[in-house]
Amino acid sequence: MAQARTDIGPPLYKEMLPPIIKENYGKWQYHEIVKPGVLVHVSETGAKLYTVRAGSPRLISIYFIREICDLADKYCDGYLRFTSRHNVEFLLSDGSKVDALIAELTEKGVPVGGTGNSITNIVHTQGWVHCHTPATDASGIVKSVMDELFEYFTTMKLPAKLRISLACCLNMCGAVHCSDIAILGIHRTVPKIDHDTLHKVCEIPTLTASCPTAAIRPNPKLKSVEIKAERCMYCGNCYTMCPSVHIIDAKNDAVSIWVGGKISNSRIGPRFSRLAIPFLPNNPPRWPEVVNAVKHIVEVYAANAQPGERMAEWIERISWEKFFEVTGLQFTDKHIDDFTLAQTTFRSTTQFKW
Amino acid sequence: MAFIEINGQQFEVDEDGFLLNPDTWIEDVAKYFCKEEGIDELTEDHWKVIKYLRDYFFQFGIAPMVRKLCKDTGYSLKGIYELFPTGPAKGACKLAGLPKPTGCV
Repeated sequence: MAQARTDIGPPLYKEMLPPIIKENYGKWQYHEIVKPGVLVHVSETGAKLYTVRAGSPRLISIYFIREICDLADKYCDGYLRFTSRHNVEFLLSDGSKVDALIAELTEKGVPVGGTGNSITNIVHTQGWVHCHTPATDASGIVKSVMDELFEYFTTMKLPAKLRISLACCLNMCGAVHCSDIAILGIHRTVPKIDHDTLHKVCEIPTLTASCPTAAIRPNPKLKSVEIKAERCMYCGNCYTMCPSVHIIDAKNDAVSIWVGGKISNSRIGPRFSRLAIPFLPNNPPRWPEVVNAVKHIVEVYAANAQPGERMAEWIERISWEKFFEVTGLQFTDKHIDDFTLAQTTFRSTTQFKW
Repeated sequence: MAFIEINGQQFEVDEDGFLLNPDTWIEDVAKYFCKEEGIDELTEDHWKVIKYLRDYFFQFGIAPMVRKLCKDTGYSLKGIYELFPTGPAKGACKLAGLPKPTGCV
């Protein structure tokens, strides 16, 4: 085998910085949000860097990439970047070009926004486009939700920033476990086992060890395994480890909504998101139930939270029972934790609101 | 599922070319697979790793962890990659007729 060139790592990021950033690296004094989607950073040397942030659907074609490259050539001397939420940022050293760039982006249908107290891009996963374990789709729901919440992307009228993310199974690739609103695909049926192929394609000890509730045990007679249905909570881990265990169920796979996660340390520390709605049906192509639920939670939060208050801070101030009351969401047995550390989530005080 | 033919014998393989049933493995399977995994000729060292993987799999029902493989055979991971350019999972396990590795690979 010819010696391939390996272990060279990614290109050094400094090679791709615009000259204005290279010159002012580590010297930034302050920044301002000029208007939704436009930031200006001012350096101690007096240099000003304008950033125009535009939405992207994350899943993009090479033609889209070439189009934004053309825009970067035209307005930013060929420099752009992607944010950690898959927005595109055009980096301009010339502030007079900002409005022309925005006009051209708008004309192309690429929205400018996602700054400040807005709903910026939705961090999401593969879904039915590429993955083999999803319980729902990613791109489809994201498009439907962002269509409905579009006004919040291009404005900054929320009490605080609101992060929405989506994962299509509870591997939770991405940020669903720590987002203000999270959309998560779930299964609701016990997997079916293909006993004929299991012993050929699966490592049985790995399979039994993959179950968080120990519902799987070997069945030496069949050279296979059996699943105790009453112990199974349909996580799908076993399917990840073994292709002969089938969990995907078109009828019963569903979507759950979680709220109140955050990752920053501002004011209150990071929080995990918690279950708000245990089940909404998979209803492609527009997922109206999911879209309406997310929109409803956003609107109730926007109407009730104090300025500067993230979802988690708002819920903790008013308490979870009030959250369910003002949102009108149903509190069910599904909301009560029954896993390893369940006890820590129960109320161990007499303080509560009627 | 696809079949490959080695010396007139049929073997069922999956879309990545892994043998579907480890029990049907014969040494010719490893010889057949080695070209596509970037190995010109199977040496004593290759056979040592393949035999070890098969013994371990039939004793414990799983493929060994990489650290276990290196410790027991005496090859460093670098050495394993020199023997099997596509690595211990895609290369060595495939030649040994073990099930395809699963999980987020």
